[in-house]
Amino acid sequence: MRSQFISWCVAAIVAITPMAAWANDITIVIGSEPTTLDPHAADDGGEKAVNDNVFDTLMVRDTEGNLGLGIASAWPTQIDPNTWEFTIEPGITFHNGEPLNAEAVAFSVERMIDPELNSEQLSYFSTLSGAQAIDDLTVQITTSGPDPILPARMYYFMIVPPEASQSEDFAQAPIGSGPYRFVSWDRGNQIVLEADPDYRGGAPDITGVTYRFIEESGTRLSTLLAGEVDLVTNLLPEFMGQVPQAASMRSLEHPMVLLNHDGGITADTRVRQALNYAIDKEALASALFEGQAQVEAGQLLGPTYFGYNEDISAYPYDPDRARELLAEAGASDGQITLVSTSGRWLKDRELTEVIGGYWSAIGLDVDVQIYEFDEYLQRLFRSEDGQRSDAIFIVSGNELLDADRSFSAYLAPSGFGASNSIPQMEEWITAARTEIDLDQRQAIYEEVVEYAHEEALLTFLLNINNIWGMSERLSWEPRVDGKLFVSTMSVE
Amino acid sequence: MSRFVINRLWQGVIVVLSVVVVVFILTRLIGDPVRVMLPLEATAEQRAAFEAQLGLDRPIFEQFLTYVRDVAVLDFGESLWQRRPVLEIIIERAPATLVLTFAAIALAVTLAVPLGVIAALRPEGIVDRIVVVISLLGLSIPQFWLGLLFIVLFSLTLGWLPTSGAGGLDHLVLPALTLALPAMTRLVMVVRSTMIDELNAQYVKVLRAKGMLPWRVIGVHALRNSAVPILTIAGWELIRIVSGYTVVVETVFAWPGLGLTAIQAIERQDLILLQAIVFVTAIMVVVLNLLLDIVYKAIDPRIEMSAK
Repeated sequence: MRSQFISWCVAAIVAITPMAAWANDITIVIGSEPTTLDPHAADDGGEKAVNDNVFDTLMVRDTEGNLGLGIASAWPTQIDPNTWEFTIEPGITFHNGEPLNAEAVAFSVERMIDPELNSEQLSYFSTLSGAQAIDDLTVQITTSGPDPILPARMYYFMIVPPEASQSEDFAQAPIGSGPYRFVSWDRGNQIVLEADPDYRGGAPDITGVTYRFIEESGTRLSTLLAGEVDLVTNLLPEFMGQVPQAASMRSLEHPMVLLNHDGGITADTRVRQALNYAIDKEALASALFEGQAQVEAGQLLGPTYFGYNEDISAYPYDPDRARELLAEAGASDGQITLVSTSGRWLKDRELTEVIGGYWSAIGLDVDVQIYEFDEYLQRLFRSEDGQRSDAIFIVSGNELLDADRSFSAYLAPSGFGASNSIPQMEEWITAARTEIDLDQRQAIYEEVVEYAHEEALLTFLLNINNIWGMSERLSWEPRVDGKLFVSTMSVE
Repeated sequence: MSRFVINRLWQGVIVVLSVVVVVFILTRLIGDPVRVMLPLEATAEQRAAFEAQLGLDRPIFEQFLTYVRDVAVLDFGESLWQRRPVLEIIIERAPATLVLTFAAIALAVTLAVPLGVIAALRPEGIVDRIVVVISLLGLSIPQFWLGLLFIVLFSLTLGWLPTSGAGGLDHLVLPALTLALPAMTRLVMVVRSTMIDELNAQYVKVLRAKGMLPWRVIGVHALRNSAVPILTIAGWELIRIVSGYTVVVETVFAWPGLGLTAIQAIERQDLILLQAIVFVTAIMVVVLNLLLDIVYKAIDPRIEMSAK
């Protein structure tokens, strides 16, 4: 009678306790489903969200963004201008038993740059020209020119198993060496990973993770509020108060406005400076982003990016000074066009409209033009002929945390989004890209930052935060690069 | 009958061909997929290489001919976004949409017919008044908002049903309900007015006078005679759901069907996938129309399908 009662109790407890509670499984909701799980093929945030847990990289970054060693056993050395040498930790294997050695790394590099693959990530790895295994744990990676950024690139580069990655199924069922193993992909619905109990760093706390994909932000929020999931990404600042737990961290995103240096009303430096003084960036951060943004230190770089200049700070909010400068330049009631898009970045439309408002307040006649994304891209990309818009809003992202990426794009005249043709800029940025002496490189970038700031080539704005919603039981430190490493999460 | 069916099939083919041409033109007007798909920092060479790989650098007429030839053998090409055969994607996603659509229409009809009949039996009665109010609400509330409202009510507040995604039967309830409600309201009004007309007809009075049980009079005879208008509206609602409303509802509920895929294809400028989804939808509409016409003829041979 008693044993029957006890087994009845156990059955009841088993029935009412949700499965997740004792198995430490969590569910994460991201905004879009990966198009492929091949870590080399697509430039896809969804794929990275999953594969960051399945694969290893030579270098890693901490939550603030400082570069450190991943599976590399020591900091890489540059043995000649075009060759970097890495040594790898011994004894690492992929989930299918293949060894992660120098051969695997060399294979991975060759695979990434293989034209057959047509990788969408090539723009991050365009300097790679090949790799060779020197011995079991030493590999040399060659670049097409001197590439001081190579160690940083390796934080973004996943190592794949030579044999398994050749199979057609690899893109649907990836095999890596990370703390989690791939289990299943129910297309359109969810992806499931399980922890590798024999992982060399120790078995992770979370035993399994399910990824769901929900594009509609209201629905994403409701899954968290209904207690169905543990983590949702891209939470809007307005909802931070409603969710059980919220975490935020500055991100790699810098909204800013490209100002035309070569023509129109913005050709005059005083006008561009006025446009910077006119905006109350503190108000933008506290009101529009509900405190979930920092004022940028006048340079499009975050404090842990390579090239950051500590001596430069933001233009203060000074509308009187702005009006003075406009008057000096004879542009007091001039016309200015501000081009932007809507729905691509967080609060892009709202920011654009507010900026337009601030510029109107100093007396300018602002024409705000918001286009559908492709139309907007046509105006963003530098064209040989045709007018360049006075002001173009954009959010610059810097996945490698290195000045070269955004400066090459927006400050160097040869950049796809640049609004200037200053030869000195081109010289500096090209030189810095291949400058092997890190101190020299840093010095060049500091000059670039100072010049760009003095000349107000851009309207510097903010560095916005990423915000995540979490369930009560989840514990996790968010990262500046927004990556979701489940092995760093735990549940109560 | 068979000549009628063949006639209809020919008309269907012409419709589908026209849709193919229009879709081809329109999808190429919405923008440049290469520009949107690669990261902003990709160089001009990388873009050109990508474009060549996808066959988008060939003259437009050549692209069209290739497209028509491929469609004829059901080769819809490879999705620009997912880099795998479009047919695979459609086969994966279509069942979810079909399940949802049929659940919705079944729900709509099952609710609308009894409600409409009861409302017709007692015009101006309680049920009738409630039906009118619900109809107005159903017609004026946008489905997007209705869906989110249901989530807040049934998932968050009451906790009865899951918020989103595909899964068991419980995941089907809210999306099907959201799709069904507007259809149901229109259907209810039709059932009601048609039944009122029928119940006022001579033959009903005769049957009642002969002593036939009321439920037989209503359920078997009057309803059967009302079938054509009810069927027409139900058919219309089904076609509307299949060709449009699923897009909104699937997005709100993250239901992995063709509607959600269409929106994703548009956002990512995936012309190839979009063309194929529209084509498949056009085929479904044509087939449904044909089936509807055949059912009409079967129910009531007196119906003429064309002017004499």
